[in-house]
Amino acid sequence: MGKLWSLFFVFSAVIAVALCWFAPDWNWWFPGDGKAHSTLGGKIDDLFHLILIIVAVTFIGTQAALGYVLWRGATIKPEEKALFSHGSHSLEVIWTIVPSAVLLFIALYQLDVWAQFRIKGAIRDSHGKMVRPEPVAELTARQFEWRIRYPAKGKPLQPQPQPDDIYSVNELHIPSGRPVEVTLRTDDVQHAIFIPELRIKQDAVASLKIPVWFDALENRDYEMLCAELCGWGHYKMKAKVVARSDADFDAWKEQASAEQFDDGFRKPAEAK
Amino acid sequence: MMFRHSSNHRSVTTAPWQLVCGLALGIASGLAGCGTGPKAEFSYREATQKLIPVARKAIKDTLEDGFGTPHNLVAWERFPVAYGGAKASVVAAAEGVQPASKTISVSVEGDVSKLASGASVLWLTGTRAGEKAAADTVDTYDTKTKTLTWSGSAEPAPGVGDVLIVGFGHALQKGRAVYMKNCMHCHGVSGDGNGSTAQFLNPRPRDYRLGVFKFTSTLSAEKVSRDDLHRVVKYGIPGTYMPSFLLLGEEETKSVVEYVRWLAMRGEFEKRTDDDLGDFTEDSIVDTVKKSKTAFDAAKVAYDATLKAGDKDAVKPDAPIKLTDARKIATEAFAKFQASDLDQAVEDTASFLAEAWTRADDEASRIAPTVPRVADDAASRERGRLLYMSDKTKCYTCHGLLGKGNGAATEDFWKKPGTEELYPRRGLHDAWGNPLQPRNLTLGQYRGGRRPVDVFRRLYAGIKGTPMPGFGKTALKDEEIWDIVNFVMSLQYQSPQPAKTNAGGHVVATDMPEAK
Amino acid sequence: MSTLHPSIEHADHVDHGGHGHGHHELSFIQKYVFSTDHKVIGLQFLFTTLIMLMVGGALALGVRWQLARPWEYMPIFGDLTFASDGGQISPEAYTMLFTMHATVMIFLVIIPILAGAFGNFLIPLQIGADDMAFPVLNMLSYWFMWPAIACFACALGLAPNWLNETFLQLGMEKLVVRGGLIAGAANGWTSYPLLSALEQASPSSGAAQTWWLIAVTFVGVSSMMGSVNYMTTIINMRAPGMTLFRMPLTIWSMFITAILQAFALPVLTAAGFMLVADRMLGFCFFIPSGVVVNNAAPTVGGGQPLLWQHLFWFYSHPAVYIMLLPAMGMVSDMLACMCRKPVFGYKPMVYSMAAIAGLGFIVWGHHMFTSGMNPALGMTFMVATIMIALPSAIKVFNWIGTIWGGRVQFNTVMLNCVAFVSLFIVGGLSGIFMAAVPVDIYIHDTYFIVAHFHYVLFGATLFGVFGAIQFWFPKMWGRMMNETVGKIHFVLTFIGFNCTFFPMHLLGIAGMPRRYADPYHFPYLEHLLPLNQFMTGAAILMGFAQFLLLGNFVLSIFFGPKCGRNPWNANGLEWSAPSPPGHGNFDVPPVVYHGPYEYSSPVSGDKDFLMQTEYVPLAQRKVHTGH
Repeated sequence: MGKLWSLFFVFSAVIAVALCWFAPDWNWWFPGDGKAHSTLGGKIDDLFHLILIIVAVTFIGTQAALGYVLWRGATIKPEEKALFSHGSHSLEVIWTIVPSAVLLFIALYQLDVWAQFRIKGAIRDSHGKMVRPEPVAELTARQFEWRIRYPAKGKPLQPQPQPDDIYSVNELHIPSGRPVEVTLRTDDVQHAIFIPELRIKQDAVASLKIPVWFDALENRDYEMLCAELCGWGHYKMKAKVVARSDADFDAWKEQASAEQFDDGFRKPAEAK
Repeated sequence: MMFRHSSNHRSVTTAPWQLVCGLALGIASGLAGCGTGPKAEFSYREATQKLIPVARKAIKDTLEDGFGTPHNLVAWERFPVAYGGAKASVVAAAEGVQPASKTISVSVEGDVSKLASGASVLWLTGTRAGEKAAADTVDTYDTKTKTLTWSGSAEPAPGVGDVLIVGFGHALQKGRAVYMKNCMHCHGVSGDGNGSTAQFLNPRPRDYRLGVFKFTSTLSAEKVSRDDLHRVVKYGIPGTYMPSFLLLGEEETKSVVEYVRWLAMRGEFEKRTDDDLGDFTEDSIVDTVKKSKTAFDAAKVAYDATLKAGDKDAVKPDAPIKLTDARKIATEAFAKFQASDLDQAVEDTASFLAEAWTRADDEASRIAPTVPRVADDAASRERGRLLYMSDKTKCYTCHGLLGKGNGAATEDFWKKPGTEELYPRRGLHDAWGNPLQPRNLTLGQYRGGRRPVDVFRRLYAGIKGTPMPGFGKTALKDEEIWDIVNFVMSLQYQSPQPAKTNAGGHVVATDMPEAK
Repeated sequence: MSTLHPSIEHADHVDHGGHGHGHHELSFIQKYVFSTDHKVIGLQFLFTTLIMLMVGGALALGVRWQLARPWEYMPIFGDLTFASDGGQISPEAYTMLFTMHATVMIFLVIIPILAGAFGNFLIPLQIGADDMAFPVLNMLSYWFMWPAIACFACALGLAPNWLNETFLQLGMEKLVVRGGLIAGAANGWTSYPLLSALEQASPSSGAAQTWWLIAVTFVGVSSMMGSVNYMTTIINMRAPGMTLFRMPLTIWSMFITAILQAFALPVLTAAGFMLVADRMLGFCFFIPSGVVVNNAAPTVGGGQPLLWQHLFWFYSHPAVYIMLLPAMGMVSDMLACMCRKPVFGYKPMVYSMAAIAGLGFIVWGHHMFTSGMNPALGMTFMVATIMIALPSAIKVFNWIGTIWGGRVQFNTVMLNCVAFVSLFIVGGLSGIFMAAVPVDIYIHDTYFIVAHFHYVLFGATLFGVFGAIQFWFPKMWGRMMNETVGKIHFVLTFIGFNCTFFPMHLLGIAGMPRRYADPYHFPYLEHLLPLNQFMTGAAILMGFAQFLLLGNFVLSIFFGPKCGRNPWNANGLEWSAPSPPGHGNFDVPPVVYHGPYEYSSPVSGDKDFLMQTEYVPLAQRKVHTGH
């Protein structure tokens, strides 16, 4: 019976590993095509996979050890006494030093990515050059939608609204292929932007304006949602990031501007 | 395992899992002992509930007959709602294999490849036409042979050339699905603006049942157009809890707009019918009895006086009506009304609504400025300001001298419309009886849209269901309206402390350093 | 000496009514209701928390139901509250469900079942004291749970009408929950302002939130009384010979937990009062100026919502260890006994617990990596957080070392303990992902986090508790629990648990955010519905399996096979007392001669255990140990 139980625990660990192994094939892994679509996101994925290797090795090692000691404990003869041992000083030293070295390595290895994401004020673009991101929009979260303000075409983003600013709701338009800065703020309670495929997440806090730096590598739409409980409609904050080439981005601005300043007057011929 | 960046063959293998999951859930549901649960219900207006039982029953029957219940919708064809479905005509008709079933070959315009069994069939021409939409439902549809079977009565048999609609009402059903998922919690199952969340929201969610919507592009006497509702669903109403459903999907948005229009028609139909039956309420019966008692008392006093004076011929006043008698009389009167006039009243209401809602989508009902926007310069804004302050518009009485929405009118007590009774709260109220704050124009927050044409339309036709009047055609010329538009839209940028506002709202961020 | 140590063979003949001290007649109420006896209080805590476990579990099943069948009829809850909507729950009801699930599980189950139930029951028994240092304080610490439970009920919107009427008449409208269940507290167990600070911010932010905060304060007072008591008792009331390093690891863990609680809890209590002050008295500790929510008047004052997060997590991160350390200690005890082997590395175990407690105070910022706090702090917190994995790892290695070479008894106790170790490994390792800030950017507030803390709090702690219930049950009632039912319960719970929570890691990696009433209207999450349905099925299985535990527990009290003082042949002091111990615990005042883990010692002769009270003559010791 004891052996069966040892196998029971080993078996559950095996299933866990197998599940993780097959998960990408079953589409239970990173969203979309599984790749990060921002430069920084790629780094995050690399770190994730590095940690995953370390963790997987540890997991398999410890679970195997657990299974082994259980199996041994099950096979001991009834008349035999258990091993009388209070521990081993050298083993303790080894399993203190080795994990601490590994853990310290993990910790220090992360620092630069974090510094790029939030501290340095300049991030590496897809060509490896450090670039200062261009402010493109102010993203204001409110219960339960995103309202976005852009400067008019060819103008820089001002901290305060300008008469020719362009507005959109639930659709964040950005130029693709280069780092951009989006200023995040909230009208009411806390929210957080989460763009899964770009691996971006940042809370919006009342009274703060928080810059978020990222780039989108492809010309396409990315889903965006809220990741901080903001009330009953938390799940409703469905939005998307529209990443387009510079030319298309400018074209969108022109079109949006024309729509926004539409005075509804049509010449009789046109009206038809 | 970690390097397997997901390959291209995705989501293929979920099928066996679905089986396992379904199985697990099935067991679980069995364990939990759950069935399908209670059925959602349409609520009735308070006025309906106050009617005498027979009248109440008549109204409820009529409503259920014409609109059904949330789980069993009825598509009343005469209302201008795009109920959905594909038009088809009969090519050949034959007896079905099963008894009491029919097989016909049809040619269908449009895509019916997803036609499900259970979809309804509506006959537009031929011997079967004129029957209720729900009478025939599709059993099978073979896309290759274009053969349709349905069960139900086989007589009268359809003839070749008969026109029918298959899947009639499926757009409404889709709209209901979208509505029950996204809208119901605030707007309520019946569109009465009284969902479970509604009580916590300010302003309250719209009650569709007056058939009135605030932000429209139509003339002040007209209903809301499909485009207007579509726009509101898509972009939300800033400054309220109506969020933007931009990513809902075009088809979903369209169908939910139809459903909302349908709910509004149902609600207004009920309201108008209630109004027609205003004499048959419990209150009016009690009132009659009371009046009769008062009259009797007065007559009795006079009678006694005359008796005392010695007049033996004085006519003894009739005894006052008893409550039970009054009820009986009212019930009889209603039976008479029901026999003779009710159908006509329903008919009138239906055609009135059908016309009004059809007209709303006419080009002629839409407000289009006759002149382009007047150049937005200092002179125009100044003219706008003068108009704003003038007695012609009296904008300042509500919106305040500085446009902050705090005019003198917000301090007054106002009468409930049609009565002498005052609202218990100071300030303005809308047609739904909710307190209403005139817009603070300095925030840059435009509930009905921030396009100049939107603001123009607000001024031209007013905001329906609110004290905001329309100035178009009569009081102001289009050029003058544009001047006010220019003035109002500039207010956001003239604030003494421009730093205190922003477009999306009004969070003060100036006392915090920028987080850079 | 032999008179001091009644041997096991004679144990059953000792009448536990016959001990000498403080025995006077007590009324029923004094004895079983307002009792100052630590054992009765411990059992009161145990019963209360087991009931709350079922309540919390029911709330969780509500959450799972919505995730499996979004916007469809929800059994029971849908009938009760949303019948006219077709039994479909509303989003605020969903947020209320997960909020109250977490609240109940954390504040009314895990913290009190560890410190309250087992801490109370075991501390005096294991250190050889006749009761706690402050018995009345101890009693109060239990009875303060009930106002907390009542306030949580109000926070759920279950306040009775007469109570609401009373508050209205007293002019305290801010305490009247309007809207019933729909308006129940639903701002997450973290209750971040502004959502929790402004009563107009959501339906749940009204009076329910105030009640929630008051309830948490009551729980805090209860815990604080407990921890003062535990510290004093452990420091002052140990039996002769019970040196600090002869204490069982359970006692060490309770001691460290008590210290943690004593230092961390005041911060939460203060923060709670500040938030109540914000809500009811117009303070603005957490509320910045000029915020307009739900078209109410703009807020005044210049508070900072992030302050709450700092204060809250300054308590709540150590609280995670408060919810874990006692289970670690108990599992160490049980593992040693069930493997008939000394704990591997007793002192490293103690030091690593101390290290966890120390580091536990400087890692709270890892909950706030994306919150907008000074990003540079993220680096410090990341290093501290990753390093806290080290003592946890040492403990895991030591547990495996303890089993290694043991003569393992595969009974329910052991199985639950192995499950503890096995699942704690998963929970610990997944923690490394979120300790790494850049990775945490992505997985923060996704189901990966949910998976992680359920592996730690349920997988580890609750399995430890299941084992502990089975292990100490004979001491509580003098009867054994049913082994077969225990094993069935274990297998069902273990399978149900893993099937429910392991896939959550994958959901998290797939980017599914927590606290979403309907994740599936985001196209990239649509395909996760079948997986969620599978998890819900497993969760329901697991939920219903708990009735086995409950039934086994209750029925065994009356019908379990009777047992003697030391049915497990364990070493601890508690096993030298009668089962159940009478008032005053020990019939013979215990004297301690060894550490608690001298299993299979060569000096103990034929037996494979050596009770702490058993004196081994020097000569015998020399022969066998060769000293």
